Amino acid sequence: MLASSALVAHTTDLDLVVRHVLAGLGHGIHAGRERGAGVEFSEYRAYAPGDEWRRVDWKLLARADRYYVREAERDSHVAVWLVLDATASMAEPSRNVDGLTKLQYARVLLACVAAIAQRQGDAFGLVVCQGERAGFTPAMRGPRQLQRVLARLNGVEAGGLLPGADTLRASLHFSRAPGVVCVASDFLDWPSPLSEALLRLRRMRHDVRALCLHTQAEADAAFDTGPLYRDPEHAGTVYRFGRDVKETYARNRAIHFDEVARVCRQHDVPLLQARIEQAPGEVLRAWLRAHMAGARAA
Amino acid sequence: MNGMNLWWWALPVVLLPILWHRQKREQTKTTLLASARFLPAAEPKQQRVWRWSDALLLLLRCLLLVTVIALLADLVLSWRGDTVLVVPGTPPAVVEKEVTRFGKAQRFALPDRDAVTWLHAHEREFEPGARLLVVGDAVMPAVLPRFRHDVVLRTAVAPNAPAERHVAVFSDRADAWRRLFAAADGAWRVVVDAVPGPRTEAIVWDRPDAPPAGLRAQLWWVTHADGFPELAHAAAVDGMRWADSPRGRLWQVDGRAPQDPDGGRALFAAWQRLHLVTQPYTAPAQALVPDAAAPAGPASGALRHWLGLALVVLFALERMVTHVRRR
Repeated sequence: MLASSALVAHTTDLDLVVRHVLAGLGHGIHAGRERGAGVEFSEYRAYAPGDEWRRVDWKLLARADRYYVREAERDSHVAVWLVLDATASMAEPSRNVDGLTKLQYARVLLACVAAIAQRQGDAFGLVVCQGERAGFTPAMRGPRQLQRVLARLNGVEAGGLLPGADTLRASLHFSRAPGVVCVASDFLDWPSPLSEALLRLRRMRHDVRALCLHTQAEADAAFDTGPLYRDPEHAGTVYRFGRDVKETYARNRAIHFDEVARVCRQHDVPLLQARIEQAPGEVLRAWLRAHMAGARAA
Repeated sequence: MNGMNLWWWALPVVLLPILWHRQKREQTKTTLLASARFLPAAEPKQQRVWRWSDALLLLLRCLLLVTVIALLADLVLSWRGDTVLVVPGTPPAVVEKEVTRFGKAQRFALPDRDAVTWLHAHEREFEPGARLLVVGDAVMPAVLPRFRHDVVLRTAVAPNAPAERHVAVFSDRADAWRRLFAAADGAWRVVVDAVPGPRTEAIVWDRPDAPPAGLRAQLWWVTHADGFPELAHAAAVDGMRWADSPRGRLWQVDGRAPQDPDGGRALFAAWQRLHLVTQPYTAPAQALVPDAAAPAGPASGALRHWLGLALVVLFALERMVTHVRRR
């Protein structure tokens, strides 16, 4: 069974959630070490406890009566960049699942991508956009890097606005090397310095994959009509929700995200729109497949 | 206009808790919504809902402030209607007769004979159209009083029994002193005590030696100054020397008891005038014309006790409700 979004809401152990989600994905979601370019057989190594069983060479076991593990040498030049939007609007809670926010969901999905990249032997780094600053974790390989990234993701709290265009340009200096850029955001600010930076990266031939997060309540335009609402990033104005403005809300929202989708399509950026109440495994699968479909199309 | 009434201008202070409560409402009832930008902007005031506990607290705080201002302004409620003011010592038969003639009215017993002063202090407690009747031996004021109400004075001199004054005489010529005191007439009568008691007001010391240490009285008539060192530097008033001592006030009377009626009368007059209180005259019976321009009397403080009590109770309630609301 795939991990439900409730699991995301109720645990703070990111490592556990990632293992749970990836275990639910089944096989074939991440390209195996034995397939694709850049993966070459290197050597046999004696089995050590903790190695995956599927890496054991069974034919050699039959011949030598010992467990050997096939070590593959991978020479990957692809760096995976995880970009997390942690502005105040990402603290938007799900109105259906208690304790679940867009930030938690985005954090889990990016952690899953990081874990997949680590299993594939890719280098991966993290950029957290929060409080008008861009926190930067350089790209590296290995399990220790995974722990570093998970710890950084765990410590992120939503707040503030997106960083300015100059700050982002200074932070995205990795753009010289080819890479995959995975962005998780709500894209409520569009166009924004972040969207400009993503489109610029795409124009520089990076593989940019965008994940746009919504809540079920936003999709259905079903909010409590009792309280008044304030925008967490643009305080001052008070908004009202009622049955009479439901149509207006849905129309404005559709116009906004249609524009986002149109710009992404125009720049060949695969965009996945997901609700945080969906199971993270399914969303992750769809996100990566969108990338594969995009790659095939390219 | 009374100067204390300026406190009523502080009443707009009551608006402060109302404003504070409104602000609280605005702060607590808004919720963050990331996609609020797709909604139409709203007037913040329209969606406010007053909660019951807050309304109670608001009411308590407003009442508290109003009570404080009323206490400072010395609120006077005009609640007395037609009233018959009875001077103490008036025979009940006279009161009944006057009340019957005056018509339906409340009866109020004055604390003392000075009805005009009391009326000046309490005139604001009477309703604007109230009629007042003063019955009894009321004191005549120095000037003709002005009241806003219709005040009728039905005064009569009370036939007082002569007051008793107790005197103790220490003298070799006690008979002469007794004759003098027996001649006292008019409003009071002098009783000569054989031994000074608690009712003794004056002691006549007609001896050259000093009196015993424990003997005390309000007034001493001393004929020989030798026994009283205080009289050495005594001041003189109307040809009579006097001084205050631990025993009481000392008067030095020349030589011996006055023998002639004039001397005795002068001594009694001095006693009356300088030592006892002057007896006021009785006000003439008359009907005072109401004067709308008459100054309102000073604040009476009639409600001060109750307002203070209400203040304490309201303060306690306000603290309790605030505490309950915080939990």
